[in-house]
Amino acid sequence: MQTDAFTYLDPSPSVWGHDSVMSPEQGPLAGKSLTIQPSLSVRGWPADAGSVALKGFVALEDATVIERLKKAGATLVGTSRMSELGLGLAGDTTGRILSEGRSDMALMTDMMGEARIIAARVGAFAFKPSNGTVSRFGLIGLAPSMECLGILARAPEDIVAVMGIMAGDDDRDFSMCGSEAPRFDHVTESDDSIKVIGFMKEPIETLSEAEVRAFRGCLDRLEKSGFRIREVSLPDYDLFRSVHHCIGAVEASSSCGKYDGVRYGHRTAAAKNWNDMYLKTRAESFGALVKAYLFQGAYFQFENYGAFENACRIRARLVKAINGLFAEVDALAFPTRSGSIREVSAEDMEGLYDDFVLTLPANVAGVPAVQIPGYCTDGNADYGLQIIGPRLSDGPLLSLAVRLSKMGT
Amino acid sequence: MTYKDRLPCGSLRIPDTGRAVLLAGWVDALRDHGELVFIHLRDRSGIVQVIFSPEFADQTIMKSASTLRNEFCVAIRGRVQQRAAGTENPNLDTGSIEVMATDLTILSKSEALPFIISEKAMVAGAGDRVADAVSEDLRLQYRYLDLRRPTMQGHLLKRHRIIKVVRDFLDEQGFIEIETPMLTKSTPEGARDYLVPSRVHPGNFYALPQSPQLFKQLLMVSGYERYFQIVRCFRDEDLRPNRQPEFTQLDLEASFIDEGFIYDLMEALIVRMFAVAVVDLPRPFPRMAYDEAIDTMGSDRPDTRFGLRFVEATDIFRNTSYGIFKQILQRGGCIKGVNIKGQSEKLSKNVLQNEYAREIVPGFGAKGMTWMRVMEGGLESNIVQFFSEEEQQAILARFGAETGDVIVMIADASYDLVTSVLGQLRLHMADRLGLIPANVYSPLWVTDFPLFLATDEGITSSHHPFTAPDRTDFDPSDRDMLLSLRSRAYDVVVNGEELGGGSIRINDRDVQRKIFQALGLTDQEVEEKFGFFLRALDYGAPPHGGIALGMDRVVSMILGTSSIREVIAFPKNRSAFCPLTQAPSPVGREQLEELGLLGSGDAKNAAGTDQQRDLVDALAWVSRIGVGEQERPMIAGALKEAMRLAGRLSERQGDEEPLFCVAGDVNRMRKPGGARPSPYAESGEIFKNAPAVKGNYFKVAAVLE
Repeated sequence: MQTDAFTYLDPSPSVWGHDSVMSPEQGPLAGKSLTIQPSLSVRGWPADAGSVALKGFVALEDATVIERLKKAGATLVGTSRMSELGLGLAGDTTGRILSEGRSDMALMTDMMGEARIIAARVGAFAFKPSNGTVSRFGLIGLAPSMECLGILARAPEDIVAVMGIMAGDDDRDFSMCGSEAPRFDHVTESDDSIKVIGFMKEPIETLSEAEVRAFRGCLDRLEKSGFRIREVSLPDYDLFRSVHHCIGAVEASSSCGKYDGVRYGHRTAAAKNWNDMYLKTRAESFGALVKAYLFQGAYFQFENYGAFENACRIRARLVKAINGLFAEVDALAFPTRSGSIREVSAEDMEGLYDDFVLTLPANVAGVPAVQIPGYCTDGNADYGLQIIGPRLSDGPLLSLAVRLSKMGT
Repeated sequence: MTYKDRLPCGSLRIPDTGRAVLLAGWVDALRDHGELVFIHLRDRSGIVQVIFSPEFADQTIMKSASTLRNEFCVAIRGRVQQRAAGTENPNLDTGSIEVMATDLTILSKSEALPFIISEKAMVAGAGDRVADAVSEDLRLQYRYLDLRRPTMQGHLLKRHRIIKVVRDFLDEQGFIEIETPMLTKSTPEGARDYLVPSRVHPGNFYALPQSPQLFKQLLMVSGYERYFQIVRCFRDEDLRPNRQPEFTQLDLEASFIDEGFIYDLMEALIVRMFAVAVVDLPRPFPRMAYDEAIDTMGSDRPDTRFGLRFVEATDIFRNTSYGIFKQILQRGGCIKGVNIKGQSEKLSKNVLQNEYAREIVPGFGAKGMTWMRVMEGGLESNIVQFFSEEEQQAILARFGAETGDVIVMIADASYDLVTSVLGQLRLHMADRLGLIPANVYSPLWVTDFPLFLATDEGITSSHHPFTAPDRTDFDPSDRDMLLSLRSRAYDVVVNGEELGGGSIRINDRDVQRKIFQALGLTDQEVEEKFGFFLRALDYGAPPHGGIALGMDRVVSMILGTSSIREVIAFPKNRSAFCPLTQAPSPVGREQLEELGLLGSGDAKNAAGTDQQRDLVDALAWVSRIGVGEQERPMIAGALKEAMRLAGRLSERQGDEEPLFCVAGDVNRMRKPGGARPSPYAESGEIFKNAPAVKGNYFKVAAVLE
């Protein structure tokens, strides 16, 4: 059943067809293996993003990050199984592939915290970069303003190395942050620029007793290691979820407009006319969860645009508020996941948002976040320690992860 | 500022040299050379080059000139001077002079443009700028900018001139223009009506007129003798590329006249209209009976610019042993063909068999096509061996065939199908082989239409029930006789396009009643639909007749534009939608309620479930995702959740913050350099992922059923 975790395995992973790229032995990522999702384009590889909408689609060109990883000599193992268009974690096998040691690292779309949640489940590190740090050209996505490529690895140093290769400007992605882009060549355990770690009281109030105990224990441990811990408050905290849901649905509805069964993907067998072809093709293309999301997005777009505008204004307010907190503290700590989180992924939207409520604020605010294993535990379960920093503080945040991994158990 | 002394930009010429002028208009194009700023100043009359030079303008003016951008609206004072030899711009009527600016007032500024408006190059030799391939919907969305383009201004100006010609001419001929209502009664004419709900008579509707037909006939009853109107008409028809839901018609009607009067009048008028664009139409226009048009060109609006007339071949195969023809003839069918002279080189065996016989002709509705290439040694065809020597000789003789000709034939049990398919094939071949001469206008009257057409249920009027028959002694219950009646209708056709049509009307109430009887309408139905009109016929109606011309189509043809939208200021797009105003648009419940358009009873009883159902369907339609009955409850649940979410967001909203944009401060525009095709499109690789491909195109279902 091993191969079942992959939807595609590269038949000859260490041999690249291009003369211009270095062979894997030569590059800085030589000997490092990566698994990706079928939503990231590798020329010649199937890329159906887990959806009927893209059934049979084979990528024509490499995503920018794939180009860079190939050049750096990384070994691309294959593609994991993924949820439909990356919405939720139903059927996702990234965690299994990592824990079975079939790949050193994995890349997955992080739209609401998927990479961090998976890593917390299997005791690995995960990093979600600031928006605009890593090119999304060649990434088949759902909610562009929320998502980015997340990196999972057993060792944080591997994340640093991969970020060093992947990050940086790309002419083909118009949402890159440009000259202010963070750098990764000074990420070391000796970088102690993060000294004060805050935590918001609002999310703590939603946790169970055991979770609070684990998180408090984790904060104590950080304090003993020399960090200053400070409690902060963001009264609008509960709105992160509503804002993500509304804007995410609208962007998904818009992004999925391209799946019309004309240029690629699934096409219904019989259609009387053009409109009939669209209606049937798209009815057959999307699963229940994605469809619910798309209809919600259509509702906001066509029936209640005011709600979408409200969400965009509240998002601005939340970003301002969280920037305000970063004036008081260097980083903010959260548990990555709550104990009640289902192993079987949610099948309705509310359930889905329940699962990601602790991770999605970083996606809403576009700030970097790192998941660190082994700190927030109650003896049985590792809830994961999630630390988020100000936008573009990707470097210091990864330094912190390296530092904590060295101090670790 | 007063514009009393303002001169039209396009009027300046060498004799104006030295003159101080005041000009106002828009910056069509500009070149900033630092020291000197050149602009093309455009107003409705044309374009003139204006130069800002420190020699003539002070520093403030020069500074202000350096801030100019395309389409700023400005007023300029300056002095006309002759251009230095070699710097003339032959692209401009004013190209021998230029204006040295002494003063500049920026009247209003312009944002960056969604597309280029300027059509004239600033330097000689560069030629006119061809209108960029701007998407038509973008042009329509910013129609007020699109209409600034000299081409569009030219179209609307010419349209005005043509319509003025119509008014002047008809006035000379004693016609008077009378307006008829826009809010009128729904009448059972050809197309669907646009309905207008009445607030004061809840549940009742006005209809927008499909034509002022009944009103113009009433005006004849009222003794106006000669009426015309340039009038807007409305038809809620299925979408076609060159059709508008509202269109402008020249509608006219006259009393105490016959067909000859209409022919003379309209020919004189049409000749004058075409003369606006310096097109000379020869008179008189030829006339052709409907039967002949169908029999020889397969269309009731035949394109007579080229030949390719049908040849009757049924009798040649009376005793044929070729099975397919034999069967068709046994079922009373017919065989017709066309001789495509001297085209055997372009119409290879492969083209005729694989393209025409297999793909194109079946698309026209026929089961197949017989083709023969006339070669040195005789006929070449895939089935020629089935024809006897005698038949082959007869074909050559009948079609007047010579070496190098190609004969195509259609055989079918249905005469209508044979003529219709051959008619489409005739146009297709003419277009493909370049047999249609350019810049030729070939007008034609089509006459003697059948009065009635057979339908499954009985018969129907081929024009409308007020058209006069060629004889009045018919028996309204004799179907065969009815179908043999001809009408006194006429269409004017130019180059295969119907520009208009009309008829002599019935003015005798007994004949009119007989027609209604023939149509199978009961007295009650007649009373409901036409009662007011029939009563008018009871009071001494004069003999009368008239015609209507589709003005959008006429103007478009005269100006040679690619579509009628090019000659309409604010048209709808191909989907009958207005990208500028976003019409049609949904309206509020209150508005519907006030008009009595909400079944209030239903809404109460069903406690909102109907609206919920409607919402699912409405969103399924706009997002083009079909919803099965099984998933409906799940989708309805998701929508309820979305509504709760919207409520939560509205409770907690604050208007203090701007809308969040993830993009930040960096410029998110695509880097300049223009659009270019993807290399994968050029290599054809892009088709590898397509579900269906035909040639170098993605294949999709038909746009219309």
